[in-house]
Amino acid sequence: MEKGGLELEITELRLGLPGTEKMMKKRGFTEMIMTSSGSNSDQCESGVVSTGCDVEKANESPVAKSQVVGWPPVCSYRRKNSCKEVSTTRVGLGYVKVSMDGVLYLRKMDLGSSQGYDDLAFALDKLFGFHGIGVALKDGDNCEYVTIYEDKDGDWMLAGDVPWGMFIESCKRLRIMKRSDAAGFGLQPRGVDE
Amino acid sequence: MNYFPDEVIEHIFDFIASHKDRNSISLVSKSWHKIERCSRKRVFIGNCYAINPERLIERFPSLRSLTLKGKPHFADFNLVPHEWGGFVHPWIVALAKARVGLEELRLKRMVVSDESLELLSRSFASFKSLVLVSCEGFTTDGLASVAANCRHLCELDLQENEIEDHRGQWLNCFPESSTALTSLNFSCLKGETNLAALERLVARSPNLESLKVNRAVPLDALTRLLSCAPQLVDLGVGSYENEPDQESFVKLMDAIKKCTSLRSLSGFSEVAPLCLTAFYPICQNLTSLNLSYAAEIQGNHLIRFIQFCKRLQRLWILDSIGDKGLEVVASTCKELQELRVFPSDLHDEEDNDTAVTEIGLVAISAGCPKLHSILYFCKQMTNAALITVAKNCPNFIRFRLCILEPNKPDHTTSQSLDEGFGAIVQACKGLRRLSVSGLLTDKVFLYIGMYAEQLEMLSIAFAGDTDKGMLYVLNGCKKMRKLEIRDSPFGNAALLADVDKYRTMRSLWMSSCEVTLGGCKRLARNAPWLNVEIINENENNDLMMERNEEDEREKVDRLYLYRTVVGARKDAPPCVTIL
Repeated sequence: MEKGGLELEITELRLGLPGTEKMMKKRGFTEMIMTSSGSNSDQCESGVVSTGCDVEKANESPVAKSQVVGWPPVCSYRRKNSCKEVSTTRVGLGYVKVSMDGVLYLRKMDLGSSQGYDDLAFALDKLFGFHGIGVALKDGDNCEYVTIYEDKDGDWMLAGDVPWGMFIESCKRLRIMKRSDAAGFGLQPRGVDE
Repeated sequence: MNYFPDEVIEHIFDFIASHKDRNSISLVSKSWHKIERCSRKRVFIGNCYAINPERLIERFPSLRSLTLKGKPHFADFNLVPHEWGGFVHPWIVALAKARVGLEELRLKRMVVSDESLELLSRSFASFKSLVLVSCEGFTTDGLASVAANCRHLCELDLQENEIEDHRGQWLNCFPESSTALTSLNFSCLKGETNLAALERLVARSPNLESLKVNRAVPLDALTRLLSCAPQLVDLGVGSYENEPDQESFVKLMDAIKKCTSLRSLSGFSEVAPLCLTAFYPICQNLTSLNLSYAAEIQGNHLIRFIQFCKRLQRLWILDSIGDKGLEVVASTCKELQELRVFPSDLHDEEDNDTAVTEIGLVAISAGCPKLHSILYFCKQMTNAALITVAKNCPNFIRFRLCILEPNKPDHTTSQSLDEGFGAIVQACKGLRRLSVSGLLTDKVFLYIGMYAEQLEMLSIAFAGDTDKGMLYVLNGCKKMRKLEIRDSPFGNAALLADVDKYRTMRSLWMSSCEVTLGGCKRLARNAPWLNVEIINENENNDLMMERNEEDEREKVDRLYLYRTVVGARKDAPPCVTIL
């Protein structure tokens, strides 16, 4: 194994389209990172590179193993329902943490079981035993609370602006905040481009 | 025997239950074929696209119980697009139209709609049992129709399905006259449960043996349920995040003490350690324990619990139990037959000290002489350990080892794990299912082809060097039925070497391998009795068929082929091309 050569390869960012590597080399494990379906652009930018075809080299990127599609081979039902999955904030359908100003304990709720914003409003009311959160979602300016969410980019957005499908895909966690505190919070303005 | 009247022969056939045996009987003679098919009650169809419902009904007019499987196994790991197929609706429509007296339907990895469930519930007056495993596409509204309309329903078993929970009142839909329930499992439902309706239902079901509730059933409700169903044999509990107060705890333990028939325990999606101790009184009777969803429980609590479970035959657990915990299992559970150890840390977020290693596996193999099935996720393995395991446990039927990091070699010698797996297949003459992992060359497949004579299902990931590897398996394993391969360098030469081999197999899956479009097209031409499906979500597949010579060399992302007697299916979505 040429250590020197390996280091150079690590610094070589490859931003070619996923799949162009395939024809040339036997797939090493780390090539998975570039070509796993669905989030290719994200992973290209993170700078993880294919280090070539030698199987001996492949165990040099253990950090990447959770990024390969379908690996480790744990069925998706189990992934969604294992508690550790629940307690790490994760993007997409499933449980997210919900915090409310003035309430001591975080709650968790399953976004996947709500059908839309109205349903979410109802669910939030039930979660905290509090009427009025729902109103915050529907009737923007008349309520003491606002419902905001952290999206997968780490930005805090006002809940209710984007289509429901888009919302549940990107919502990592929810927060029910006093309107008075929201002004200085740094919410992303409506209609911000991705 | 041909001088006996048909009724006598039929009566004799009644004693023959296994599908394999009945299939064999039907090949003996024309008259036996007829008697067998007319009297056959239970049919198992491993691939719903291998046959169509009309032909099924034509052959087996007395059908009572049907088992159907849809999507390929790797669909569990998100490798198959959602819309791929596996719809049960046409089957239910056909069975209803032909007035088949269906009593039992078991589905795995199929798409089920509320419409299907509604039709099912109205079409079969004697319907008794519905078992859905890893299915999707329906909501609690569909369950409501089944509850309301299936007057003789005994079993409703929902395992690991994706069910949209409308938080309706489906449990209320069981009529008051419904008292025949023996098994009710709704553990996969995500929403609230009408506790009052559930308690009334359980109270009026004296034959209820198996009850698995969802996470929304709190402790006090569980206590009441157990109090009115102390006859339970199989219990799945909900989620108990918070420690119970003294009074609730005592009530729960008292109720549990009365459940002297309880043999199987599962659920516990979250469980405070004290709650777990409430179950100590029945531990000694347990033969089956599934704590694999209880991710927050630390190893020491698990260990203490298991120390009481001396009669366990089946254990599903998380790797948070650690090697030390497995040593305790090995010394306590001498009756153990099946063990599954799942990974608790899927995101590699912690430096995982408690994950299991080869030490735990060796301990189990040494301590549990009856072990025949294992699924083991671990962070490292050695050849020496596998060789020891093979010596200790030559009776494995299922051996599935998943080393979490792909391509990882023997961590003490840095060599491949060929020799270790070789020892397993050589010693375990009855091995029917095998999953391999870690650093593996073509050699391991040489061993598999040479020794694994009974092997029916093989799962390969990130393994092998050349086409020879796959060829060793195809040539050697005469009983191979399902072969699934991902991310391994096997290509057209292996795929095309022996086309007739696929007549003897149910299916072959290859993803991220070296097979090309040209190779797949050639296979499809030479084997019209196969459906050769190319799955590609990123392409316009109409163009794929018009590709010229150049593009034939393009690698195929996902290939799924299976034998069929009914030709190309008509319900394939755009991302699937059937060559």
